[in-house]
Amino acid sequence: MTGHPSPGPEVSFPQGQPGIDPRLPGGDRRSRILAGGAGRNTWIAVVSTVVFFSVAAVLIVNSAGWPTVRFFFFDGAEFAYAFPRIVARFRWNVFIFCTAEALVLVLAMFIAVLRSLPGPVFAPLRLLAAGYTDLFRGVPTILVILLLGYGMPALELHGLPQSDVFWAIVALTLVYSAYVAEVYRAGIESIHPSQVAAARSLGLTRAQSLRHVVLPQAVRRVIPPLLNDFIGLQKDSALVAVLGFTEALLRAEIISANDFNFTPYVALAVIYVAITIPQARFVDWLVARERRRREATTQL
Amino acid sequence: MRRWLLAFATMGLVAAACASEAETPGSSPTSPAPMEQTASECVEANADALFAADTLTIGTGNPAYQPWYGGKSVPDSEWKSSSFTGDPHTGEGYESAFAYALAEELGFSEDQVDWVSVTFNKSFAPGDKDFDFAMQQISITEKRERAVDFSEGYYDVNQALIANEGSPAIGVTTLEGLKDLRLGAPVGSTSLQAIEELVQPSDGGHGYPDLDKALKDLKNGQLDGVVVDFPTAFYGYADVVVGQFPPIGGEQEQFGLTFETGSPLVGCANLGIEQLRDDGALDELKDEWLEVDTSVPVFS
Amino acid sequence: MTEAIRIEGLRKSFGPLEVLRGIDLAVDDHEVVCLIGASGSGKSTLLRCIDLLEPVDAGRIWIEGVEITAAGVDENAVRRRIGIVFQAFNLFPHMTVMRNVTLAQEKALGRPAADARANAHELLTRFGLADKADDYPDRLSGGQQQRVAIARALAMEPDVLLLDEVTSALDPVLVAEVLDTIRGLATTGMTMVIATHEMGFARDVAHRVAFLEEGRILEQGDPGTMFTDPHEDATRRFLDRIIAAGRM
Repeated sequence: MTGHPSPGPEVSFPQGQPGIDPRLPGGDRRSRILAGGAGRNTWIAVVSTVVFFSVAAVLIVNSAGWPTVRFFFFDGAEFAYAFPRIVARFRWNVFIFCTAEALVLVLAMFIAVLRSLPGPVFAPLRLLAAGYTDLFRGVPTILVILLLGYGMPALELHGLPQSDVFWAIVALTLVYSAYVAEVYRAGIESIHPSQVAAARSLGLTRAQSLRHVVLPQAVRRVIPPLLNDFIGLQKDSALVAVLGFTEALLRAEIISANDFNFTPYVALAVIYVAITIPQARFVDWLVARERRRREATTQL
Repeated sequence: MRRWLLAFATMGLVAAACASEAETPGSSPTSPAPMEQTASECVEANADALFAADTLTIGTGNPAYQPWYGGKSVPDSEWKSSSFTGDPHTGEGYESAFAYALAEELGFSEDQVDWVSVTFNKSFAPGDKDFDFAMQQISITEKRERAVDFSEGYYDVNQALIANEGSPAIGVTTLEGLKDLRLGAPVGSTSLQAIEELVQPSDGGHGYPDLDKALKDLKNGQLDGVVVDFPTAFYGYADVVVGQFPPIGGEQEQFGLTFETGSPLVGCANLGIEQLRDDGALDELKDEWLEVDTSVPVFS
Repeated sequence: MTEAIRIEGLRKSFGPLEVLRGIDLAVDDHEVVCLIGASGSGKSTLLRCIDLLEPVDAGRIWIEGVEITAAGVDENAVRRRIGIVFQAFNLFPHMTVMRNVTLAQEKALGRPAADARANAHELLTRFGLADKADDYPDRLSGGQQQRVAIARALAMEPDVLLLDEVTSALDPVLVAEVLDTIRGLATTGMTMVIATHEMGFARDVAHRVAFLEEGRILEQGDPGTMFTDPHEDATRRFLDRIIAAGRM
């Protein structure tokens, strides 16, 4: 690097101290002070955390109701029995929410684009899209599943599938497309008009600008809320239980009812949290990467 | 950094939790009733254990299914009668009649019996109960004994399979033959356990929140058969009673009343039940309310 | 010599605010015209109107003799023939530099991918940016990004290039490289209309300078006379302020 002051007398540089340049004047002394400070802060944080949570744990554990709660919710033997059985049925939940999500991402995009078509000619389509969104964000998901899951087979129409899983996927797709369409719309509207101006100025049509410039950026931008909705969908996959299909939640219910114990539900909660955390970290990484790219091109 | 703190915190909590002793609530002994005491004397001696003074409060499910509960619903009752459901207040139906007979043994008049509607989970969940005991065709099992106190059995129960005309289940006489069929039962019932342990169907079986929904799917053609306890099978919910199941685990299954653990009223109830059995009252109730055709074949 | 651009009586308002109040301007082929004036005088709006990025309220515009403000004109076709570069570069951040330059060639001009890439490569090499072709814009400095933006516009082989204060958002150190690039374009005979605050640059490169004030072209002429001896008082005041600010 050019422009730095000439280094002082030879000093040893403590390793592992990022950001502290011993070539700057007083660099070594500064790094020693900062090292002392940073190390001490870490220890205080660790000790205080351990103390706090240990005290909290001791208080809970010594409360009057704890043995009962522990038996009903945190029973080791019950957990060991329930966990593998619930995990085995969880693959149905995975199938349901993966299929539904794939459909949702497409359908929601379609609705979002419909909703943002400009000009009076497209007013009916915009209204349709808005109405769809209002309807499926308004009705509780469990009702949609019940109505479709019991109602459609009752119609006894030829060729209409009867399976619970099929109707659960349909219901979840309809409901979540409404939410995700709004997320996409927010993303599309957040793209600065200068991007559209640049695309149009190159002679790209409105459709081409949407497809190549706006949508790719919009989608990347709304990945955190998209993930939020996906996680909601993952949890709502359990709703197919009300139709009688034995996926993870119903399995947990069955074991719970048979054994008069609630630990199976805790086991299911653990499974859900275990799959959610990696997704959240992955999205954090994606978001950081997009932010870096976006901020470099000085969009307003 | 934050991740390490979280790890320490979790470790602290887990360590403290594991350190506490686990007591199973169902293991505390109940006060034994002294010999020669009658059921009603027992109740008098333990009157403060009653939920409501001078009242026998019984919890059961809503809707209350025939033939366990029958009659036309009394005014202002939470229970609505139909061709398949009844009202516990009427004293009609096996369990309702049994309840009033037991109440008499315990020294309560008809007006002193109170009914509360209670979900299945509530009949065993920890915490204060708003009833003295729950009665909903709940089978006694060892695992369940850890969570509640059961009375003696008041009915020996077997499971049977019902189906509608045209179902592939009709004519099947072996458990093997049922393996590829779609069978359902309410969650928490031993009926579902019969499906899972005796038949082990290839699709895992279907559990429902209540009998109603299982029957609906049977009607729709979504299920080939529903498993219910023997008396329910003859009530006419479906066209055909296909067959009986052998006892699960080789032991005769029995229905019992569930009490909060440690309730002194269990002993009193047992005295009452024994008395009714010795008097032949239980058999009379069975003859009056439960029509069964014992010639129905047992699955092999 | 044919007229590359002709503008007559151009008016443009944004709501109650009238930004362009009757612009008349003619630009010949291979001519470089610099627009100068205070912020808000209408320079950006004028350029955006020429490129049909804003609908005009009144007036007419011709490009190479064809009226582009007539009814029924294919706006997309018009925009393919006019290149514009913005102050904020506006590169597409989710695409590499190469893709930024080839996208419109392929989609708007229908060029085969290989030709588009070859053309892009040639332009980027000319601007000294060939080694950045596979980078994303976030890895480039402001000056480099702006030059990519110019390359992207040139890849469409426009008749006319519009430059809207393309150095105003740049670190002063990086301004020179962009100005040099534009100088190079001028020597190759590119017809350009340049809105700029860089007076020294305007004096060097422009064939003609037009001074805008409050939506009108107050004065225009060759840079030599405009900068040393303007007719209008307003022009004189403006130039004095620029000199006082040390920018000329």
